[in-house]
Amino acid sequence: MTEKIYNGILIFAEQKNNAIHRVSYELLGKGKELSDKIDCSLNAVILGPEEINVQELICRGADKVYHIADSTAFNKPDELIYAENIVSLIKSIKPEICLFGATTFGRSLAPRVAASLETGLTADCTDLKTDSDMKLIQIRPAFSENILAHIKSDIYPQMATVRYKEFEEAKRDADRTGELIKIEPVKTNNDLIEILEEISNDGINIQDAKVVVAAGVSVKSAEDLSMINELAYLLGGEVGASRALVETGIISKDHQVGYSGNRVKPAVYIACGISGAPQHLAGMKEAGVIIAINNDPSAPIFDIADYSIVGDMYKIIPEIISAIRNNELTI
Amino acid sequence: MNETVIKKMQEILGEAWVVTDLEKVKSYCDDQTEKAMKPEICTDCVVVKPSKTEEISKIMKYANENKLTVIARGGGTSLSGAAIAIMPGIIISMERMNNIIEVDETSMTVECEAGVTLLQLVELFNKHDTLYFPIHPGDEGAQVGGLVVMNAGGVRAVRYGVMRDQIKEMEMVLASGEVVRLGKNLIKNNAGLDLKNLIVGSEGILGIVTKATLSIKPKDKHIGSLIVSFENESDAVKAVTEIFKTGIKPMAIEYMEKKAILKAAKDIGMTWPSSEGAVDLYFIVSERKEDDLYEMYEIIVGICEENNALNSFVAESSKDQRTLLDIRSHVYPSMHDEVVDAIDAAIPMKNLSKYMDSITKISEKYNVHISTIGHIGDGNLHNSILTEGAVKPDNYDEIADEIFALVMECGGSITGEHGIGKIRNKKMNLQFSETELRLMKEIKKIFDPNNILNPGTAL
Amino acid sequence: MNIVVLVKQVPDMEKVKFDREAGRIDRSSAGTEINPFDLNALEAALQISENTNGKVTVLTMGPAQAEEALREAIARGADEGILLTDVKFGGSDVKATSTILSSAIKKAGQFDLVIAGIQSVDGDTGQVGAEVAGYLGIPHISNVEAIKNYTEEYIEVVSSVWESQYLKRGKYPLLITVTKDVNVPRLPSFKNKMKARKVEITKWSYEDLKEVLDPSKIGIKGSPTKVKKIEVPQQSMREGKLYKENDEKAVEDILNALKSCKVLKEA
Repeated sequence: MTEKIYNGILIFAEQKNNAIHRVSYELLGKGKELSDKIDCSLNAVILGPEEINVQELICRGADKVYHIADSTAFNKPDELIYAENIVSLIKSIKPEICLFGATTFGRSLAPRVAASLETGLTADCTDLKTDSDMKLIQIRPAFSENILAHIKSDIYPQMATVRYKEFEEAKRDADRTGELIKIEPVKTNNDLIEILEEISNDGINIQDAKVVVAAGVSVKSAEDLSMINELAYLLGGEVGASRALVETGIISKDHQVGYSGNRVKPAVYIACGISGAPQHLAGMKEAGVIIAINNDPSAPIFDIADYSIVGDMYKIIPEIISAIRNNELTI
Repeated sequence: MNETVIKKMQEILGEAWVVTDLEKVKSYCDDQTEKAMKPEICTDCVVVKPSKTEEISKIMKYANENKLTVIARGGGTSLSGAAIAIMPGIIISMERMNNIIEVDETSMTVECEAGVTLLQLVELFNKHDTLYFPIHPGDEGAQVGGLVVMNAGGVRAVRYGVMRDQIKEMEMVLASGEVVRLGKNLIKNNAGLDLKNLIVGSEGILGIVTKATLSIKPKDKHIGSLIVSFENESDAVKAVTEIFKTGIKPMAIEYMEKKAILKAAKDIGMTWPSSEGAVDLYFIVSERKEDDLYEMYEIIVGICEENNALNSFVAESSKDQRTLLDIRSHVYPSMHDEVVDAIDAAIPMKNLSKYMDSITKISEKYNVHISTIGHIGDGNLHNSILTEGAVKPDNYDEIADEIFALVMECGGSITGEHGIGKIRNKKMNLQFSETELRLMKEIKKIFDPNNILNPGTAL
Repeated sequence: MNIVVLVKQVPDMEKVKFDREAGRIDRSSAGTEINPFDLNALEAALQISENTNGKVTVLTMGPAQAEEALREAIARGADEGILLTDVKFGGSDVKATSTILSSAIKKAGQFDLVIAGIQSVDGDTGQVGAEVAGYLGIPHISNVEAIKNYTEEYIEVVSSVWESQYLKRGKYPLLITVTKDVNVPRLPSFKNKMKARKVEITKWSYEDLKEVLDPSKIGIKGSPTKVKKIEVPQQSMREGKLYKENDEKAVEDILNALKSCKVLKEA
């Protein structure tokens, strides 16, 4: 068999403030599975200062790590600088598959890279497989998540962005060895875009939250709300509220879920002491998984819940919180 | 609440469907009536949640034998206190009877249990290619049973009428526990006295509606919404009456005070398309052909412009039109904290201008803010008396008396769609003679000799 | 200032049906509309144009009926519409679409700013904007949530990227993609709506673009990515598990549920 011109898998390891984004480990996890099947190498590219612990990418399964190093050029999300450096590397090492995390930055960067290489790109994949000819099958949702399309690319490299938290992270092996290749950047500044400042963003955004922990009038005071806040914090979510609770003044209207509040569609909705007036249900019944805790077995919320727990929320919520802590679960 | 009653209810329904916890019961004793108008709420009640007509029949039989007060309750969205408990009793919440039984595309009807919500119907027909349910009174938590007995109205009455015009058939449990089916799914039916239509609008005092067959309408292929702004209200009212003279029939014509609609939009984080002027008219127009739709727009906008309209906007995508309807539906909730009394008189079209002018004068005379929002296309206006914190002003009675006297002078009705409930009972004699009132009371006696069904309501 | 807005005509997603057995999408009963995010792009363009005495050109690629989307955009205030329509364009993927759109932008003449919606609700890729910038050889700023300032030379925007928000200043020519947070799209006035019904729409086919467009890079032929199969996943039913006086099991199952929907993981 003739040697392939395009060979190996390259994953883009995203970093910010020298911390490697966890999606990179997920890409290495899936990349390993694919490289075993195809029988090729699994490599990573990372752009950033010298100080980054790039060895970690080797521990997580990379055979080679290309570290395009510069003390300042990669400390801001400048797609143009990133893209030119990545394109230059890809042109020289010719990987058959190129994977980016579908983070906001990955989704902005990958198309620029693909355009420069004049190759195809499949966005936001939720699964990757190989075909009998060892080509990549890229599976992605479309039509507002109503369908899954299976897509193949007939130009190399086969490029895709992959949804965060879709795959298992690669297991860490502290003793693993690999090759570390340091590369001089080909571009370090961009006169066309100036990144003026990073803006902190701390407003509540319940509509886009992945998890909403919502409380009803069983919450009698701001102190009672603290366990709801804590659970939402542990799950990386926002706190929601029924109209009745908002009307007591314990919580502001930004938190209100329902027909006359926010309509939310989180992956998980936890309704604590909410009976489920139609008004409220209208705002949350599209949620992925619904967990309801209520001491009234006849509460309408139980009709639409996946997990219905009949009991005292003041007992059950602390139990959930301590179980999360005891099992050392994190977001 | 009496332990024996609770035991009996548990026996009929099973323990899980009988609610006695005071906190929970409380939320079933109230509705959305303005605070200042509400009668005193009695929470010494037991809430029961049947899932079948037979269970309701058993409950009624027991209640009737023991002379226990019963209120059947839907979504609790009444604005006239119809669902408020004012004495100890059994509250039957219909929430579990929420099955849509059949959509009959040949007769163009939908049969549902009484606990089906308006939202369920809206969502069902959003997915349907050609049919929809025409009534949209606002809060989508409202249930079919409530819509029927309150004879709900809403925005699309101009073309399709009100609930009464949609009801083909119903199943009802009488005070005695007997079950009857009233009406037939027919266009012509001339047999006997029309009991079905007696039940529509009876506010739960004659029986408990458990199922209803409602007519549905074909969707026009082309639907559009027009927002037209005016600097002053008399121009807007005049435009509406002129439009009626041309003989065209939009689905809906809504009249909205600018301040109120902008506040409603802000409260739900949306934006109303027009910020100019003091009053907006909101038209929903639908036609089978696009050219007809545009011809309709041209007639409407043309007349509005002759009456000094400031601007006009068109919404055609379903999302844009939904946004407008959502904002419109939130006008009332968003002013709720200030509403002392939302008077919902219906006025004959020819006297609309006179009525509106006089309301302005009353507002000036008593120096009180009367916000006008309403279904002007069918003459049903909502004149809300507003104060900070919805505190009843000292001269409230004088203001209300003057408004209701005006309604009578204009040949109107004291309520167009909210009903008498438990808040307008004293005004009944303005509209009805002694004889008429006596007839109503005697009918009530025939249906409910022990006066156990929602006492203190409607009469 | 010359602004180009990229729009796409999409089916009304509420009305689209998905046939699980046949793996098919049925758009027949769904009306069409402008992709909602593109209305935000248009609104952004209109606001900038109104303040700089500029011109807004709306560009779309699609079948003949996509003309309706351009009329709608003109009704909302755009100055001109260009429809790219040709059977040769059919079946284009992200790359071919971006190639065609960028060549049309070049042909349309001098431009300062290109604005696109962050993604379409049918394709859902969110890649066309940035790829068009790539093929035009101009910088782009994606996920723009707010426009803070603009002059004849540059624009300052808030871009939601890198798990944060950044204030970026981009010199023209530049492409930005906007989210729904950037503004509230206006409705068309009745007068504009009537005007737009009669307005002439420019239509370009491959012939009109051939000087700037390589025929091997368009349509199915020019599309490296191909859809091999469409799966319509089953709507998952609610679990409907009930726990009563069994907290321990409830907590255990909830933690497992939180893990399986990737909210929580082992540290």
